[in-house]
Amino acid sequence: MQISYSKNEEKFRDKVRLWLKENVSDEIKDQTLGGSSLDTELMVKWHKKLYQKGWVAPEIDKKWGGSGFSQTENFIFGYEYARSGAPRLKTKLIAIGMLTPLLLQFGTKEQQERFIPDMISGEIQWAQGYSEPDAGSDLANLSTEAVLDGDDFIVNGQKIWTSMADYAHWMFMLVRTDTSGKKQQGISFLLVDLKSPGITIRPTEALTDHEPFCEVFFDNVRVPKENLVGKINEGWNIAKVLLEHERLNAFPVGEVIAALEIVVKNAEKINFRGKPLLEDPVFRRKLAVLDVDCKAFLYTFFRILSKLQSGSAPGPETSFLKAYGAELYQRVMDLSIEVMGPYGQSWYNLKEYGNPVHQATMGWVNARSLTIWGGASEIQRTIIATQVLKLPRK
Amino acid sequence: MDLEITREHLMLQDSARDFIKKEHSFDRLRELKKEPPLKYSRKVWKKMAKLDWLGLIYPEEYNGAQMDLSYAMALLEEFGRGMLPEPWISTVLLGGNLILSGGSKEQKKNFLPKIASGKLLMTLAYLEDGGRYDPNFCAAGAKKSGENFSISGKKIFVLDGSGADKIVVSARTSGAVDDREGITLFIIDKNADGLKIRPVKTMDGRNAASIDLNEVMVSEGDIIGEVDHGYNLMCDVIDQATAGLCAEMIGGMKATLNLTVRHLSDRIQFGKHLGSFQALQHKSADMLINQELAISAVYYAMASMVEKSDERVSAVSIAKAKCSHAYIENTKIAIQLFGAFGFTNEADIGFFFKRAKVAEILFGDCDYHYDRYLTLNRPLS
Repeated sequence: MQISYSKNEEKFRDKVRLWLKENVSDEIKDQTLGGSSLDTELMVKWHKKLYQKGWVAPEIDKKWGGSGFSQTENFIFGYEYARSGAPRLKTKLIAIGMLTPLLLQFGTKEQQERFIPDMISGEIQWAQGYSEPDAGSDLANLSTEAVLDGDDFIVNGQKIWTSMADYAHWMFMLVRTDTSGKKQQGISFLLVDLKSPGITIRPTEALTDHEPFCEVFFDNVRVPKENLVGKINEGWNIAKVLLEHERLNAFPVGEVIAALEIVVKNAEKINFRGKPLLEDPVFRRKLAVLDVDCKAFLYTFFRILSKLQSGSAPGPETSFLKAYGAELYQRVMDLSIEVMGPYGQSWYNLKEYGNPVHQATMGWVNARSLTIWGGASEIQRTIIATQVLKLPRK
Repeated sequence: MDLEITREHLMLQDSARDFIKKEHSFDRLRELKKEPPLKYSRKVWKKMAKLDWLGLIYPEEYNGAQMDLSYAMALLEEFGRGMLPEPWISTVLLGGNLILSGGSKEQKKNFLPKIASGKLLMTLAYLEDGGRYDPNFCAAGAKKSGENFSISGKKIFVLDGSGADKIVVSARTSGAVDDREGITLFIIDKNADGLKIRPVKTMDGRNAASIDLNEVMVSEGDIIGEVDHGYNLMCDVIDQATAGLCAEMIGGMKATLNLTVRHLSDRIQFGKHLGSFQALQHKSADMLINQELAISAVYYAMASMVEKSDERVSAVSIAKAKCSHAYIENTKIAIQLFGAFGFTNEADIGFFFKRAKVAEILFGDCDYHYDRYLTLNRPLS
């Protein structure tokens, strides 16, 4: 039993910490730590810088342009990255977190070589086409169809809540290729060039007043056969394997802890009855609960890492990382607004209004999405009940 | 970074499970409830001694098994799962541990082998009215009287205080009522003149005691550590006992969830298994989430204890706050999911519910540990 990192791991952590400290500019931190997202120009510049350092894709092999970190190094890197105020790359979750490992497992050599290096360099941005109007939590109900016609699939239908579709060059998507059997069995996985004729993209304005996702319409869109990943009608299994891949990255614990540290900093600056709010007993009690919950969440990652390091399979402790992390982050955001007092009701331009601390209320609004996307918290709990606790389904 | 328990821990847990299966049952608990004031059996205690469990963490020279605290916690997890009421925490982790950590060579020689062989039961008396959970709140006073000390005062909720052969009592030898300095630890025999032990029944059917001390005479040889400097020693030992209690609580939570899942998988209503209803599934999932986060916190506390890290006091408070909340919360959900049956003494689940409440309070509740966490990590300017 040991709670500290090894000497080498500590060295690695210090190296990462130092580089981030020297390279994450105040301009970036101003936007990310306040809870807003980075503007596009800054993001492109940052991606380039990180790419030159070789740290865009920590868990991916060096030969693809990744960092080739071990699992522990990957965790340490992710934790330090989030705490430094560096922005979450637009490509991180979808292209690097999901599509790259998927192509490495199921893609052809040609697909891997064609797509992975550009994904990591940031040249080609990707969107994920999963949800449809009638296939949200019940994803297998999707109906966008792809019919083989010579050397092409012809795709018709609609995707919704497609993050970054207006920004991305390509999209990976689940399509229906067979309607005869169980609905999970007739699904395939396609890579689609978003410049293809017949695609219409319509951004949707979210509660944040931003347009983080789009509706994407497909009208007789031709997709070459070689853009099929894996075998036809086996897309559901591919999508499922992907979810298992993602467990450790299910929720970045560093982001929650970084957010709470900002709350603390703000509470130091704000005065209440002649003292910093941080000294108010009611506030302190609320802070303690979140502090302790964040620590227990962090230690859960340590537990999982310990098992991975020794080669044993993690158990039930991986099943709730997404649901709990998202809910914990929402609670931290609740406190972040509370700290601001009257300024908590303002919207954008907080600095101009004279807000004494730097915190965007948009982050609080945005946090509501976390328990919805990627399997709603209720879906996560049903999975825990049926797959971990093995409660009967009928 | 390594928070995994080893094969050796698991082997110890296996033998504990076998022992509990053979020597203990919930019906035994129902019987012990009627047996004032002990609520456990010295016969079972002797059998535990034969397995080397009573000297588990003591050095070999005192007939101990010389294992680190993580083994104590592995064992306690099983005691918690099986609801074994024997006074392991009070004797081994409090009384004996005070002597192990701060006692003289002679005291160690006198007491530890007797504890290891099951002949001697010990505990610690430190709580007082007006101090809630604070170990520094100590009004009981010890006055120097020749070569001896004369102790007067009152202590409450002494863990397993009825039936303990020796009680370590914190008493003030100097300073104000809540000073950390000026507290001295005295070993007092249960038959000492002027000592009155009044049994207190706790909600979980176990034993505690209030003790009144009226000019109890103690010799210098029965002081643990130094006069006036007992506080740090006492706190360190209470922290170890708290970590041990947390491990017991984990075991209790695991048993609670197992019993609940079994009930939901067996019982049929509206033509379906209860476990297929989403309202109940989601409550069960919440139980797992509460439990696993508590386990993470306890493992971290355990590792920081073994490593003697500076973080250990804070880590113990994190663990106890998480366990105090999770165990009682989960048993409340369990009672609800068991329905009317869960509200009867025929169902075993009630034992966990009541134990969870007592364990929540023992060594400080959530609020106490949140407060301690803040004092350590976010001190006021």
